Amino acid sequence: MVSASTAATLPAAPRPLLNQAIVMAAGFAVLIIISVTSVFLVNRARDDGDLVAQTLLLENTLANVQSLLLRAESSQRGFLLTGDSNYVSAFDGTMADLSMALQHVRAGAATSERRRALADRLAVLVQAKQDELRHTITLRRSGDDMGALAVVRTDRGEELTRDITVVVSQMQQAEQALLDERWSASRSSNLWLLVTNLAGVTAIIVIAAVALRLTQRGSDALRKAHREVETSNLVLEQRVAERTADLQEANNEIQSFAYIVSHDLRSPLVNIMGFTSELEALRTDLFDRLARLRERAGEEDASEDEVLDKDFEEAFGFIKASITKMDRLINAILELSRQGRKEFVPTAVNMTEMVEAIAATMAHQLMDRNAKVTVAQIPPLISDRLALEQIFTNLIDNAVKYLRPDVPGLIEISARETVGYVTYLVRDNGRGIDPGDRVRVFELFRRSGPQDRPGEGIGLAHVRTLVRRLGGGITLESELGVGTVFKVTLPRRLVVEGNGGRDA
Amino acid sequence: MGDGMPEHVTIIMIEDDAGHARLIEKNIRRAGVLNEILPFTDGTSAIAYLFGPDGTGAVNAGKALLVLLDLNLPDTTGVNILKRIKENEHLKRSPVVVLTTTDDKVEIQRCYDLGANVYVTKPVNYENFSNAVRQLGLFFSVIQVPEAK
Repeated sequence: MVSASTAATLPAAPRPLLNQAIVMAAGFAVLIIISVTSVFLVNRARDDGDLVAQTLLLENTLANVQSLLLRAESSQRGFLLTGDSNYVSAFDGTMADLSMALQHVRAGAATSERRRALADRLAVLVQAKQDELRHTITLRRSGDDMGALAVVRTDRGEELTRDITVVVSQMQQAEQALLDERWSASRSSNLWLLVTNLAGVTAIIVIAAVALRLTQRGSDALRKAHREVETSNLVLEQRVAERTADLQEANNEIQSFAYIVSHDLRSPLVNIMGFTSELEALRTDLFDRLARLRERAGEEDASEDEVLDKDFEEAFGFIKASITKMDRLINAILELSRQGRKEFVPTAVNMTEMVEAIAATMAHQLMDRNAKVTVAQIPPLISDRLALEQIFTNLIDNAVKYLRPDVPGLIEISARETVGYVTYLVRDNGRGIDPGDRVRVFELFRRSGPQDRPGEGIGLAHVRTLVRRLGGGITLESELGVGTVFKVTLPRRLVVEGNGGRDA
Repeated sequence: MGDGMPEHVTIIMIEDDAGHARLIEKNIRRAGVLNEILPFTDGTSAIAYLFGPDGTGAVNAGKALLVLLDLNLPDTTGVNILKRIKENEHLKRSPVVVLTTTDDKVEIQRCYDLGANVYVTKPVNYENFSNAVRQLGLFFSVIQVPEAK
């Protein structure tokens, strides 16, 4: 259930991320479109503005043309009336201005066919007017006042002026139309700019909202997943704790079972031993009485009694040996259960020094067996010193016990390190352990090879119990007739869980 | 050796194992102790005798009692009996000798804390056992036992 919900949550996580990427890309795209459109529209609006300005300028110039013509006409009239040559120079100046203005008009109107035609026509008319005016001035200057007046009196000048006015107004109309057109173009450009920007802002806001929502959903999903992982971790921890507690309880039960059994077995043993001794005492009394009775009956031959006494002796011998053995076994179980219930106190232990000290206490034993113990520099532990001492004392003692008599004994202690653990190797060149016995030797009351050494088969069982309680493990490699290596793997730091049972 | 403990001192032996009871009695006798030994094989009957029908222990007022107590009993623990004796107004000065197979350190401490006068572990080896009980008998023959109030 736990793994299923975790598995369901995890693959869902990339989807919000993908969505977020899409939203981000869309946001950037919208921003780019808005920027490009804005630049384009701003440019267009500026062009439109320029065109409007040009039109306005042209209109202005057209008005200027009309007023210049009027001014030229009034200068001509002044000269005709007074003959003052100042009017002529004023007239010439005005003419120069007029031709300049006309040039502007033609340039400004060059953009369309119709306007160019109008401008050309205006230029022709203005030229004609100019010629007419200049003609009268020439006549007057030559003294032909009448001729000049006659020219003025004709409707020709009036007609030209009217035509010019018509053309100018036509041009003005055209320009006005153009102006309107350009104004509306400029306004629409500006409107488009506004609309585009507003649309862009809206799009950005929408995208931002979507992104926000997606992010929120994503982080919600993450939070949820996180919570689920936490919950499943908690459940897992709880289960581990429960299992550990179950194991602890089972272990405690076994320990207290061993304790109770060994205690309760002792009680009948006391009786068996006690009454056996009482029987022995009775036997002595019985045989004394038998001897007395035999004497009284005058029977000389005591051989029958002796046979009986021997049978008694044999029976008692077996009973007593068995009782002694049983007592030792019960004590061994009791001791083992005590070891199992002993509270561990983790302290820093210098293993090299400790093992050297153990070897030193065995100096006598080693000398007897012509054996040597070498201890390499081995890593220290934080563990229970007493338990470690018992483990290594037992292992070294065992190694010494089962050395081959014909070879000088060599027992080497070394170590291998792994993360969190140290494996200590106790290597001997003893008689070795038969492959079939490599598991059995760790069992209680089991021994391997020729049973020619004292012992109950407790040492290695004891060692294994201690190693396991220290959170480690023990294995062995061996070759018959070559030697044995015991490998004790222990955690660098002993963690003391709740110790069960009483301290015995 | 009849010059030991005054004749009026009664030994209350609370021991569920009949064989042990017999062996203990035999060896105490061998030490020359001739006092009356009252055997009880369970806690209930022993408590009934010690504290009487009213449960106050007044029934034993004026008597000199020595209690030989095994801790492993079928119906109650010897520790419980020890506790009740030492808390009782009439019986608290009666010597209690704990004679049991348990050599648990904690148990020994607890018994002395509760006021046990002697704690002896029964040796499995009979020679040692009989020696221990005989010495206990010799000890009984020299100690003074006060009368219950």
